[in-house]
This record gives sequence, C-alpha cells and structure tokens, in this order.
Amino acid sequence: MPRLTQQPANHNQEFMKSGPLNTFLPAFLIFVSAVQADGSAAGSLGFKSRILPFIKVHCFECHGPGKSKGNINLSTLNADFAADGDLKRWELILKKLQRGEMPPAGEKQPTAADRKAVVKWIDTALRRHIKSSRNKGAVPTTRRLTNFEYQNTLRDLLGIELDLAKYLPDDPAKPYRFNNTAQYLLMGREQWARYEGNAIRAMASVIVDPGKPQVYKARREWRAGGRTNNEIAVSRNRRGSPQDGLKITGWPKTGEYRIRIKASAQFPNAMTEMPLRLVMGYPLAGDIGNAPFKPVGTIRLVAGAQPRVYEFRGRIENHPVMPELKNRRGGTRTGRLRVQPANMTITPQNLFDDGTLNDGVDPNTRPKAVVEWIEFEAPVSDVWPPAHHTRILFASPLRKTQPAAYVREVLKRFLTRAFRRPVTDKEIARYEKIYTIYAADAKSMEEAMRRTLAVVLTSPNFLYHITAKDDAHRHFEIASRLSYFLWGSMPDQQLFDLAAKQRLRDPEVMKSQVQRMLKDRRASDFIRNFTSQWLSIAKVKSVPINTDLFPRFLHMIKRGERSGAEVPFRPTIRDDMFDETVAFVAALIAGNADVSNLVDSNFAMLNQRLAAHYGVDGVRGHRLRRVALKPNHRLGGLLTQGSILVGNSTGSAPHPIYRAVWLREAILGEEVKDPPADVPALSDSVGKSAEKAVTIKDLLRQHRRKASCNQCHARLDPWGIPFERYNAIGRYQPKVPRKGVRIPAFNKARHKSLTQYKAQVASLYTVKVDAAAELPHGPKVDGMTELKRHLLKNRRHDIAANVMRRLLSYGLGRDLTYRDRYDVDELLKQSKKNGYRMRDMIVLICRSGLFLGTKR
Amino acid sequence: MTQKSWHLNRREALAGTGVALALPFLESMTWAAGAEKKLPKRMVVSYFSYGAYMPNSKSGIPERRNQKRAHHDWSWWPCKQAGPLSFNKSSAPFAPLKDSISYLQGLDHKGGWKLGGHSSGDVFATGADMTGAHKTNNISIDQVAAKVHGHKTRYPSLVLGTEGGTGSYGRCKTLSHYGPGRPIPSLNKPQEIFNRLFKPHAGRDVKQVKAGLKRKASVLDVVMEESKSLNLRLGRADRAKMAEYLESIRSVEKRIERTGQWTDKPLPKVNAKKLKLDASDKDPENYIRCMYDLIYLALQTDLTRYVTFMLESEHSGASEMQNYAHYLFGYKGNTHDISHKRPADISGRWDNWRAKQHAYFLKRLRDTKEADGNMLDRTLVLWGSAHPHRAHYTRNYPIQIAGGNMLGFKHGNLHQFIDKKKVPLANLFVSMLHAVDVPVRRFADSTGVLSELLG
Repeated sequence: MPRLTQQPANHNQEFMKSGPLNTFLPAFLIFVSAVQADGSAAGSLGFKSRILPFIKVHCFECHGPGKSKGNINLSTLNADFAADGDLKRWELILKKLQRGEMPPAGEKQPTAADRKAVVKWIDTALRRHIKSSRNKGAVPTTRRLTNFEYQNTLRDLLGIELDLAKYLPDDPAKPYRFNNTAQYLLMGREQWARYEGNAIRAMASVIVDPGKPQVYKARREWRAGGRTNNEIAVSRNRRGSPQDGLKITGWPKTGEYRIRIKASAQFPNAMTEMPLRLVMGYPLAGDIGNAPFKPVGTIRLVAGAQPRVYEFRGRIENHPVMPELKNRRGGTRTGRLRVQPANMTITPQNLFDDGTLNDGVDPNTRPKAVVEWIEFEAPVSDVWPPAHHTRILFASPLRKTQPAAYVREVLKRFLTRAFRRPVTDKEIARYEKIYTIYAADAKSMEEAMRRTLAVVLTSPNFLYHITAKDDAHRHFEIASRLSYFLWGSMPDQQLFDLAAKQRLRDPEVMKSQVQRMLKDRRASDFIRNFTSQWLSIAKVKSVPINTDLFPRFLHMIKRGERSGAEVPFRPTIRDDMFDETVAFVAALIAGNADVSNLVDSNFAMLNQRLAAHYGVDGVRGHRLRRVALKPNHRLGGLLTQGSILVGNSTGSAPHPIYRAVWLREAILGEEVKDPPADVPALSDSVGKSAEKAVTIKDLLRQHRRKASCNQCHARLDPWGIPFERYNAIGRYQPKVPRKGVRIPAFNKARHKSLTQYKAQVASLYTVKVDAAAELPHGPKVDGMTELKRHLLKNRRHDIAANVMRRLLSYGLGRDLTYRDRYDVDELLKQSKKNGYRMRDMIVLICRSGLFLGTKR
Repeated sequence: MTQKSWHLNRREALAGTGVALALPFLESMTWAAGAEKKLPKRMVVSYFSYGAYMPNSKSGIPERRNQKRAHHDWSWWPCKQAGPLSFNKSSAPFAPLKDSISYLQGLDHKGGWKLGGHSSGDVFATGADMTGAHKTNNISIDQVAAKVHGHKTRYPSLVLGTEGGTGSYGRCKTLSHYGPGRPIPSLNKPQEIFNRLFKPHAGRDVKQVKAGLKRKASVLDVVMEESKSLNLRLGRADRAKMAEYLESIRSVEKRIERTGQWTDKPLPKVNAKKLKLDASDKDPENYIRCMYDLIYLALQTDLTRYVTFMLESEHSGASEMQNYAHYLFGYKGNTHDISHKRPADISGRWDNWRAKQHAYFLKRLRDTKEADGNMLDRTLVLWGSAHPHRAHYTRNYPIQIAGGNMLGFKHGNLHQFIDKKKVPLANLFVSMLHAVDVPVRRFADSTGVLSELLG
C-alpha cells in the first residue's frame, strides 16, 4: 500500500522507501469505496489525503459512484499498485491529466500545482511498480509464424517461391493492430494439419526424383493482317488476336517453367510506354469475371523499340488449373461428347491506362501490344538436378560410401537453417529416427528424405518464434527477431554469422545491419505488410463505389450483357492507391524522413493513372515515382491519399466517422472504442438514394444533439469533418450537388466532348461543403489545410509516439502495455534529438533492451 | 437413357438435383452406422449477419401500440401474430415448407448482450459470456452433440463458413468451438470441402492408408518428444502458448486413431459434376448453393450429422460477402450498410434472397425420402442472426427452426417469447440436443426446455 507522508516536498521518497511493504500487504487491498465507507482504513494516508480528494472533487461528478461516463467509474479505483489489476486505469488517468484533457473544458479545473502533484504521484508509483515487478504480467512472445512470415520463410529456406499460405486459414485481423501479436495467433489441430499438407507439397517440389524429367513444350504464333491479327488493344480485340492466349494441356506436376514472348508495341499520339502483363490459369476471354489466374510477370514496352524476346520464370505449382471436363460416365472418351482435357492458358494483357479509359476515347489512339509468339517450356533448370535440390541433397561421395553419415549431415544442414539456430546432436538424432521410419518402405532416399524434411516443417522449432528461458541461442533469437521485423523472413547467412560471433548487441553493428536490411528487396515485404495493417488500407479495394455518382472512376464495361460492371482481370486504380500509400511510407523510411511527413509532405508517389485522378499534370507511365507537389494540388501526407479517403468512405459519400476513427487510431495513436450495443442507427441516407449521400455530416449534427450520442461523438466527429471536401473517391471537391441531383455518366453521343461533360458536371456542383469543426481540446479548424497545420503544430510528438509504438509493437510481435510506457518514453526522447526520423526510429528500436531481450 | 431398376432411377434422380450417388442409401447406412441400426438424427446451425428487416417493430418484436398498422410485406417475420404461419413477400420461399418450420420471437443469448457492436455473432452457437475476466468463448452446440455421437460417423462434425478460418475475438468467422480458446476454423472453399469429405485418402488404397497412419503415429511420437523438450526451455507465459501446439499434436494423434477405425469402411462415391465447386465468392448464388449442396451431401451420405455454417460473418469488411448485395442486385453500398439503413426495397430483397437459398436447402432435405419420412424430418436446422433490425441491438434475435418432425418437433407456428414468457435461446438449444439424443441438463444460460415446440 503506498504510504505517503503529508509533506508534498518529499512524498516521493517516502513512497519509494515504503516500497517493499507492498509485497506483504495484499490483505489490505483498499478500494476507494471502502475508504469512503470507513475512513479508518489503514495505510492509505497519502492516497486518502491527497489523491482521493482530488479525484473526488474533479472526477466523481462524471466518473463516480453515481454516473460512470464512458464506462469509467473511479470510485472503485484500487490504490494498491501491486495488485496489478487497476494499472491500466491509472495509466489512463495519468495520460488524461498530463495532456490536460481531463477535467474537460468548461468544468472546474484544478490548479496547476495540484495537477502536477497528482501526476507526479501516479507517475512515480507506476514507474516504481513496473521496475519492481519485472517478471509479473509478462505477455507471451513465443508465437507461431504469421502466414506472411511462413510464406517468406519457406521461400528463403527452400529457394523456390511456392504459394503455400493460400492453403492456410487467414490470420486473425484487427484494424490498426498487427496480426503478428502472439495472443491472436492460435494453433489447433486443423491448423496443424494444414501445415502438414503444405510441408508435403513443399518437399514434393523441392526434392526431385533422380533422372531427367520429361520436358513439356508449347508454342503459338500470330501474324499480322488477313484473318489473324497479332495486336492486343486495351479492350475490344479481334477474334484470333493474342488476347486468346496460349493454351497448354501438358506440364509437369512440379517444377520451374519458362515462358518466352516476342513482343513490341505501337504507340499513337506520341505515347511512349505501355505495360504488357502475362497471366496463367483459366482462360480469361469471355468469362464473367471470376476465373482464377495468377500473374506471370509484367514487361514495359517502349516506343521505338524493335520486337524483342522477353523471358519469365516461375513455379508451375502456383497457377490454377482448369480441370478436365469429363463426360457422364467419368471417362475421357472423345467424339460426340467432346472432352476438354485439364488445361491452363497463358494470356497476355495490355494494361495501358492513362486515366482516360472511361472517356470514350477512340481505342485506336491507345497503344497496342504486338505479340509475334509465346512459348512455354517446363521444367527448366540451368543445371539438373536444380539448385534447390542439391542445396539439401548435396553431391558427395559420402552418399554411397556412408549413407548414414550422409543422412545425418543432410539433416544437420537443413535443421540448422529451418530452426534458425545451431542444432544439437540429440535433435538431429530425432530426425534420423524419423528418417529410418520412412526409409523402411520408401523407394528411394529422395522419397524418405521428402517425408522426413516435411516433418521438420511442422516442428514447433520451425513454426514458432521461440524465446527460451536459457541463454543458449539468445543471439540467434535476436537475428531472427531482426529479420522477421525487417524482412518478414528468416535471417540470411550474414546475420547467422553475426549471431554466431555474438555481435548483434553491438550498436554500430546493429545500425549497419538495419541499414543494409532496409536496402534489401525483402524490406519491401515488411513495409507493405506493416503499412497495410497499421493504416488499415486494404478496405480501399472492397468499398463498393457508387458508379452513378462517380461514373468515371472505375473502368467499366460499356456494352453487352455485362455493361455497367467493372472490367475484370485488371489491376485498377484502387490497387494503385494501395500501392501509393505503401510506396509513400517506403520513401519516408528510405529517406529517413521526419514523421511530420505523414501529415504533410512536399511530394507524393504517383503514376499516370493516379496523377490524372488527383489532377496532377506531367506524369507519364505506370511506374509509381516521386512527384513534387504544389499547394494547388491539395495533396501531401497520408491524409489526402486515396487509400485512406476511399477506404474510409461509403463509396457514395465521405464518412466523417470512419475518417475520424482512422485519424485518431492510425495517426494519433488513440484507441477508439467500438460503438456500444444498441445505439440508435445513424440513418445514413446513402442506401436509399445515392443522390442524397452528401448529407452525412448533417445527420451527424442531429445525431450529436442527443446527449447520449454526443458523449462519444463530440470527441469523434470533429476529426472527420475537416476531411469533407475530399469526396468518396478521394478527390478534392469543394462543392457538391444539391440534394437529389444526379450526376450523369459520360456519354459520348450526348456530351459531345469530355470538356463539355466536365463543364456540365461542374455546373451541378452548387453547394459549398462545410468542413469546419471545433477539435476536442483544440482550436476550430476549417478544412484539411488547417487540420494539417494543427496536427503539425500541436500533435507532432503524439504522432511520433504513435509511429514508434506501432513499429515497436510490430517488431516485438505483441501489444504494448502500460509496462512499456517508460521504455517507449526513453526511445522517444532519443528520437526527438534527431527530429523523429523514421529510419532512425527503426534503428533505435532494434538497439533497445526490449528488442535485444536484455530487458523483458 | 432408360432406367430399368430402382437403383438407376435413384441415381438419376439425384443427378438431376446436383449429384449422382453411386451407392443406394441403405448401403450407405450400413457403413455409417455399423452396429447402430437406428436412423441418424442430425442438426445444422446456420447464421446470417447484420440482422434482418423488421419494420414497425422495436428490437425484433412487433410493437403492440401499432397493432393497427398492417404487417409489412417485407418484414423478416412472415406474419404478424403468434399462431399458424402465413407468409409475406420476404419469407415467401418458405411457404411450401410451412409444416416443417417455426419462427421464434424474443429469444437471445444473455452472453451476447454486452458484446454489442457486431460481435454477438461470436456466441450464436455457444451462448457463452465472453465479456467477463476470461475473454474466451465456450463449446458450441454442435460440438456438444459431436462429443456424444461424433464417433458414429466418419467425421464428428463439419464446420463451414463463407470467410473461412477462425477470425478473432469479437469477429469470429466460425460458429464452432471445441471449448474455451479453441475455435474450429471454418472451411469456405467448395473444392477443398468436397475433397476432404469424399476423397480424404487422395487415391490411396486401404492398405497404403493404414501403413501411412501407422508410420505417422510413430513420427508424431518423436515430434511430441521434441515439443516437450522445447517446452521445458520456455517461460511461463510462453508455455501457455506452446500448450496449444502440444494439444494440437495430441488431437492429431487421436484423429489418426479414429481414422484408423474408419479406413476399412468404404467412402461414399459421389459425382461432383453438377456441383459448382469452382463457384467464386463473387458469384453469391452459385457459391452459397454449392455450400448448401455440400452440407446436404455430407448429411445424406451420413459422413457427419452435425454441421455449422456461418453463411455470413459480422465484420466482413475485407471479404467479398460485403459486396453480395452489390453483385446480386446492384445495391450501391455494402451489405453491412443495409442493416443500418434498412431501405425497405433493398432490405426486403436481400432477406428474400437469403430466404430463397435457405429454403432451397430445406427443400432438398425434404425431397429426399428416408424410411417412413424424409431427411428433413430427422434434421434440425436452425437459421438466425444475433441482431434484430436495430443497429447494434443484441436482443431478440430473428430465429427460425426447421425440421425434426420425427424428432418430436411440432411446426407451422410463430411463437412469441416476450415479456413474462421470455426465455433464453439456450432453452431451444437444450431441446435441440435432447431431440438428437444428447441428454444435457443445461446449455449456457438455459432455464429449461422449449416445450412449446415439442409436440
């Protein structure tokens, strides 16, 4: 029980001295309510005389025995920190008092001195408690690999890229949280069985049978002119064009394929480049849009280039096969009942998109790809057996002379890499035993080894991140933590070597490693995975866009049975928006930029399609690149990116609540509670008639008028309202149509030209959008510019703290708790010194005691 | 083609409805039941998300004061008053099934009250209270039954969903749980479900399968040894995590033992030709029907008797389910929005579409003869959601129970359990379990049985 003296000057010291008392006082757990009932409760002097009166006066009115706003009732607060249970609430009180958010404006405020004293009391007690109870309340850090990590690890361990995560159930997801959090990652029989199936699949691909395999080949040619045609336009291709692709009916079960294509392109109107993508799977022509396929690769065709041969390689196992169509009896008889053998089709696609595909432009003014031929061959390998095979079953005379020793060596090498640490003889012996079981009735060493190594891939030592009690492999654990943080995969040889030499705790070594790793291609996996979860941007791809209101946003089918549906099988502007945000965060980390850039930046990552959408001129081509911004673009930072604006809209209208929740969670790092049970619906008018969709803000105003709703919404809505001038498709739109006015789709016959159409639409936008809101505990802001200014001026530290916490949480694979508070503060202090730079933040985290395991 | 025998006739009849069953049913009974000659008693629990449309009503129950107002044609409830069923536009697909269904108003799980938001779907089949100190779910109704009778069929239970996996706290993607902290991942890919059900040995013969199982058991012994030795090196919190792994291995071992007992018994041969196993989730109708077909097949061949199917899950923002209403009738919003806006036309069509699919399934069961009745007579099918029409309201669920006429259920009425007559939904669960010969005294917060339904 904290025992405080009455003298404010030294109460902290007194408290600290009394620390050990905590351990034998559980019998005196005093609740404030008990104190109220019986003032004679022992041992609560300091709390009772100083803290409780403060809380009573300033908090009880709303968070007391009578009323418990936001479900917080401080009358049951436990003053005994050692009892652990109430620490979260103490931390919350501390935060609110420090920030001056409580008591709320308009209520009686404590004097600055009182506030400070209470803050200090809580802070000291909390700090002391965390220090003295290091081993209590530990959260698990041993956890299984996420699907993302699993997939990458297999790639690096086996040396071939197989899509195996698709056979696993999705990892649990929670918006703004990371799915590598140990608590969420469960394991069960079904999950294990999936790992087993995958392990068998993987080993079937990695270890090949002795002897040269049968090679499958296919080729198709196209010629210009006459009945055939060798051109591929963006849409509407002639019969017999390469759009039909190359159909293959024979391929090996496993192995690497090689696809070669000879292609060039025609460019009208001074256009200079176009992407040509190859996909393999079901045939795409004429389907209703859900045929499964997987991309093979994309090439960039440029103006003036001669026809050239391009080559792609990939694994045949990854592509979906269109199954055989049998006749009634299940046979494969040909004749009148024609039978379709199992097949795959390699289809080239013209992915040109300059953002004008819906504008009724003459298709002949767009680039066309010219394909002369496509060739398929599988399996291919520069050497046979392929490298991924000999990496495991290496060539050695031992194999013949001393098979047992050879098997042991094979196992040792594989286990060391699979377990990401040195292995003991005992561990090797276990797998030798397994090998013997399988070898008993296996036809070859290859077969027995496949089964044995498949077991390795279901072992907890492979599937789990392990933090052991003993110090045996501490440095290898660090190497793994580092590589799973920055690559989402297992360590490479260099990291293993450093771990063996125990060098990773050296700050300079760590710094250079982090910098090296961030430059590696694998770091982009990390940034994509981290960003999409942190900012919760996957939504941008699934929000249904109201094509009545936004007829030109998505590439639509113009005519025929499926007119009005989105053109299938193509990456869309929504994919670009997702990639834009990932590329933006990647650029900030690579450039070691200040976190303020998240709120506002002088550049954006755009390609031509995005630039056309946002109204930025002079960007050509499909590659995302850094584009300098001007104020009239009204872009910069994350807040105005399509992924965020579209993802947090209804597809018809901006949604201030979604956007507010996003801003508070993803940027300011506050936790916004789910709406409580049984709140009356915000009867959003979008559903009934899309045209009226612009009025959510007004509805919210009415919603807030109800006192019960206002409690939460007063703190929420103002953060979303300044976004209102950015519409549901992420474009700046300061004026909206009157209620009930419909936006016509662009029709070439009716509107004559696009300019005319645009003018007509503009004339319908007559109502100015109100984007002014008074921020909670803050000033009044009108629109995005002022919101950004406020965030940069007053919340920069909070934003930095949020980024630091997110990175740390991701790096450690667990949620942060009140226990990490002071460690994070320390990191932030250091980060502040060099201006909250993002790459340096990562370096700081990797060097921290929390990360290195010198502190738990 | 002409049919000469009952045998062929039957095969054709089945083929016409989507599958061809190679073995006559009585034969299938022998491999399923072994010593047990009684006919199987089955149970299906299915869930749809975001509630259903119930105009002019408060939290799922028609308002008394507005008795004068006509019952809405698009209400999820087929008729206005308790008593014999009549059907409105929304529930019209169920009209032919009148004698096999009942609607129950006013039921809910107390455990879900506090979950709020869209999370109460987590406990639809469990009735657990997850809001206490231990934030874990509990065993679901199908698993209670599977524990008792699961050994009688090749698969103790079948767990399906449209999103697959387990989801996480408050956003479950499955209805079934072995027990606290052990959700069962739902399967959502038709082809995969088909293979698991009907081709579990992937082309190997019995001898090979048996040898494989034996080998696997010895290998697992070694894996277990390894895991245990690893466990010793872990701290307390981490050991709890590793316990999940150990438990998985133990359970795989049990499973192997079980499979060993079943390998000698032949698998039913079904033809997948008319099943649209490659239906994508962008094609809701074919996809959902294919899932229903698979359930039907699993029950009909007696591969399992207990099935859960999360037709839709809450928090489906990242899945195609969110766009179903968009794909189906071009609704300009996501499926979740329907629940908040409830425009009559869209809500009604959406509910009607869902009803059509479910009625399709019930009809297939009803149209399949089984001894002196049909399959539906011995199959209890629960269909409902954890929300009535009001946003985020977690009481008075829309609940429909079908089938089981030969298991003691009496149908054809709408029952109201309101005010003084209010009872927990778990009472229905207890009655359902009793009907399938699982003698439980209580389930979750139950207070008895639902005698009103029992004829």
